[in-house]
Amino acid sequence: MAIINISNLVYTYPGASKPSIDGLSLTVEKGEFVLITGPSGCGKTSLCRTFNGLIPHFYHGELSGQIIVAEQDIISKQTFDMAKHVGLVFQNPENQLFALSVEKDVAFGLENLGMNREEMRKRVDWALNLADIYNLRERSPHEVSGGQQQRVAIAAVLAMQPEIIVLDEPTSFLDPLSAERIFEVIYKLNQEQGITVILVEHRLDLTAKYANHLVVMDKGKICFEGNPRNLLCNEEISHIGVGIPKATLLYKKLKTAGFNVNQQTPLSSDELADQLLKALKT
Amino acid sequence: MSVFDGLKFRKVSSPIHNLDPRIKFIYVIAIFISAILFSQILPLAILFLMQLPFVFLAGVQKQWVKSLRGAAFLATFIFVINIVTKFFYNNWTIQFSDIEIALSMTMRFVVLVESFSVFFLTTSPDYLGLALEQSRMPYEFAFAFTTAVRFVPVLAEEAQTIMDAQKARGLELEKGNLLKRIRNYIPILVPLIVSAIRRSLELAEAMESRAWGAVKKRTNLYLLKLHKGDYILISITAIILITTLYLRFFVTIPSITYYINLISNFFS
Ligand SMILES: Nc1ncnc2c1ncn2[C@@H]1O[C@H](COP(=O)(O)OP(=O)(O)OP(=O)(O)O)[C@@H](O)[C@H]1O
Ligand SMILES: [Mg+2]
Repeated sequence: MAIINISNLVYTYPGASKPSIDGLSLTVEKGEFVLITGPSGCGKTSLCRTFNGLIPHFYHGELSGQIIVAEQDIISKQTFDMAKHVGLVFQNPENQLFALSVEKDVAFGLENLGMNREEMRKRVDWALNLADIYNLRERSPHEVSGGQQQRVAIAAVLAMQPEIIVLDEPTSFLDPLSAERIFEVIYKLNQEQGITVILVEHRLDLTAKYANHLVVMDKGKICFEGNPRNLLCNEEISHIGVGIPKATLLYKKLKTAGFNVNQQTPLSSDELADQLLKALKT
Repeated sequence: MSVFDGLKFRKVSSPIHNLDPRIKFIYVIAIFISAILFSQILPLAILFLMQLPFVFLAGVQKQWVKSLRGAAFLATFIFVINIVTKFFYNNWTIQFSDIEIALSMTMRFVVLVESFSVFFLTTSPDYLGLALEQSRMPYEFAFAFTTAVRFVPVLAEEAQTIMDAQKARGLELEKGNLLKRIRNYIPILVPLIVSAIRRSLELAEAMESRAWGAVKKRTNLYLLKLHKGDYILISITAIILITTLYLRFFVTIPSITYYINLISNFFS
């Protein structure tokens, strides 16, 4: 069952001369882990903004085409209606936390929805635990690290129990280790809670292994789409500035050199190491 | 970064900090009214001393002394102005009662400053924000207040970073006359403002994404409830107000000058 269905989307920001999204169609199935990548300025962030109606309701501009998300037509829905279905996590953790304590921030969306206090308390604790920040709940936002702030932002959208969670380069302000932890949290949500995840990320090295649907964008369009293992082997993909995982590159080189690693394309160094060990033993 | 550490708030717990900010505010207003109603030094001095247990229970002596020191300049000013005007008025003579009145005026000012500083020193901003949220005020005000508290240290830190960056590129802040110095700050202000605008847009986007404006009546994770301490403070406030009104309108409060005259009459 498709949870997101976008067809022939063309969108131009107000005052811009050319469209930022230019004839894009995308279908996402329920429970998928979608990874979106592509060169800077190709429209990834703009696409994320359409999922909950920030485009066009917050940004205005010109839009044509159809966007159905969680059975809602976002053009006729307000962004606050979509908040129950889609949670957005942004790039800069600092600018999406506004309360003076972690748990108050996590409760922000629920307060806006007018939820009663007992229910809210349960939801907040549940979300804090899922994001593994329960012990930080009484801290103020400047008392926690960037990685923890980003987990607060994740917990804040989780509390609203959305079917879809969209993360736009959530780790670009973080060190690789904190980034890894964030991805683990997201992956857990996808696997255990069945939440559909849409992750925008340049560093395929760290993330390709989680995804089962890779979308490569360029110039406001989707130019490649499919299973990351098949797609990353593709020769053409390296021409549009996509950071193909080192393990995959090495695998390709080994393969062209005639080395027999006859298995599926590896997406992380762990996978490749396993395969190499097996190949060397036989 | 030490300059900006003062802007970051920390949760402090003390019997005074844990009081409901709304009740504390009413208490401050009561002290305020009393200070305005009395013009004699004796009751004003008592009002001043009555804040001391507050200060010590909260453990904010140091900051309190600092705020009083900050008010010292203005207090001196008030005293001098009072004396000088009396001096002119009474044909270049001054009486002890004039000094007493000047002292009372100064004391009144100090009590006003003191009571407000006690309020702000012992109320953590998140608690104050909560009180604002749960008063009848529109939620937007409370939100504006908490976000300001949240982002002031962030912006201050950013200002510092920009300043360092511009200095590294050869900007000299402390050079030239006043006008030049003010102009020196433009390369700091412009990026700061640009970034603040960008920040506020991102903030608005995040708020929208988290159902801002979904229902008219928001709920709240916390409920401010009155505890024993709050009831005690309410009683204290009521007693202060009643006593003030009674003393002010039914009792003539003797001045120090009166006693001095009494004593000197006794000896002569
Ligand atoms: N608020 C805006 N107003 C006008 N134009 C915008 C706005 N945001 C983005 N654009 C333009 O839309 C195009 C796509 O931008 P977008 O931010 O979606 O790209 P992106 O893929 O997210 O890039 P990056 O990897 O750098 O984050 C760019 O040409 C950009 O200049
Ligand atoms: Mg982007």
